[in-house]
Amino acid sequence: MGILDRMVKWARIRSPWILHFNTGGCNACDIEVLAVLTPRFDVERFGILLKGSPRHADVLVVTGPVTRQVAKRLKRIYYQMPEPKFVMAVGACAVSGGVFRGAYNVHMGLDQVLPVDVYVPGCPPKPEAIIDGVVKLLKKLEEGG
Amino acid sequence: MEVLELILLILATVLFPGVVFCTYYALFLEWVDRKFFARLQNRVGPWITGPKGILQPIADIIKLLAKEDITPNGVDRAGFVGAPFFALTLALFSLMFVPIASTSGILSFKGDLLIVLFISTVFGIIIIFAGYVSASRFSIVGTARAGLQFVGYEIPLFVSAIIPALIARSLTLKEIVEWQIAHYPLILCFPAMIAFGIFIVCSLAKLEKLPFDIPEAETEIVAGWATEFSGKKLALFRLSTDLKMLLLAGLATALFLGGPAPWGFTLPADLNPYLAALIYSIWFVIKTIIVVLIMSTLKAAFARYRIDQALRGFWRYLTPLSLAILILTPIVAYHFYW
Ligand code: SF4
Repeated sequence: MGILDRMVKWARIRSPWILHFNTGGCNACDIEVLAVLTPRFDVERFGILLKGSPRHADVLVVTGPVTRQVAKRLKRIYYQMPEPKFVMAVGACAVSGGVFRGAYNVHMGLDQVLPVDVYVPGCPPKPEAIIDGVVKLLKKLEEGG
Repeated sequence: MEVLELILLILATVLFPGVVFCTYYALFLEWVDRKFFARLQNRVGPWITGPKGILQPIADIIKLLAKEDITPNGVDRAGFVGAPFFALTLALFSLMFVPIASTSGILSFKGDLLIVLFISTVFGIIIIFAGYVSASRFSIVGTARAGLQFVGYEIPLFVSAIIPALIARSLTLKEIVEWQIAHYPLILCFPAMIAFGIFIVCSLAKLEKLPFDIPEAETEIVAGWATEFSGKKLALFRLSTDLKMLLLAGLATALFLGGPAPWGFTLPADLNPYLAALIYSIWFVIKTIIVVLIMSTLKAAFARYRIDQALRGFWRYLTPLSLAILILTPIVAYHFYW
């Protein structure tokens, strides 16, 4: 691997900007995601920033069950993100459908719609679990490139 | 002899205190700003990238440069590609006028303060242009807000930057700095200290920092005028914002804090020029960091204003106040400073 590639990889691991998208969850997961950004946990120490625009983001953090109505919009957001991009499914609903699994109006998990890189189970997952998920994602990046 | 001078000039423009120094120093200032802001909010801020996260802004820029660069359908191609380059080039060009390693900038001529202020006005227009050509509804809303805010802060900024020029009786940055070396930093003079406050507040609005980040309010309009920019273009915009922060901090230093000259003692005239340049740049760094820390404190202390509140603040209070001290300055200066 050339020095340039290594530099790019180093930068990529150290500055993942996230975009948070709620596909119809009960908001508990969202509060936990916000807790990750606030003083007690503060993921800015890893260089993680919350961005508003999909064009600026690297990691799409999805919470909540993927309803049939939102799936199309979720895909559109995903296509608007520039490569390389990653997807994190946070919460039991996003991982498998959770308590809504089998309902007529939801997909059985985010991976039915988008390629998912990291699953963070829990209802809602603790902020520590979400940070652990982020770290796993970064490790995957470091190994796979 | 002439060849040597030419080489020195080229080195000064490219390396120190020119493009390379300014770029890295601007990124360092972003780190200072982010870290201090985070500490004020009881967070740690950037931490793992380099010692204490000092390389964080560089990592951000490299990552953005290596990302896919999307040009959406329906944008004005030439404008969309050109706007970030314009922003960056103008920011670098205007930094050539700021006194860093001596009492004058790399470029210095009579009336250069007006040129710098003019270029800093063009920044605002480029932002409006960039949002307008990207043809997305969020960009258009952000652009409209940027334009409204632009008419608000530009007049007080201009007037407050002219007040030091009035007291020093020169529109040249070099002569303003030399006046302050001969007398005292202008922040200690009566009307100029109010002008300093106005200058800082308007700089925050120009940089779209927190109380005035209305044009890119991410909780309301996605990312404002920057919504459609990704990859390299976003990296150039981020860099140009940092350079703008350095420019405004450098201007505040040159106009109000005595430029790069040390406080408390004057350098002897027969000092080795390289040593003098070193001392000057160290003091420049100290003073710009002080200005940036003041800005971060204001950022942390205030929540975002609504656009009407911000405009009312600018038009009702800052503009009349700045005009009032503009009238007062010659009277006070005539009695005390001239
Ligand atoms: S996983 Fe649990 S907490 Fe999260 S959205 Fe679903 S039901 Fe709510």
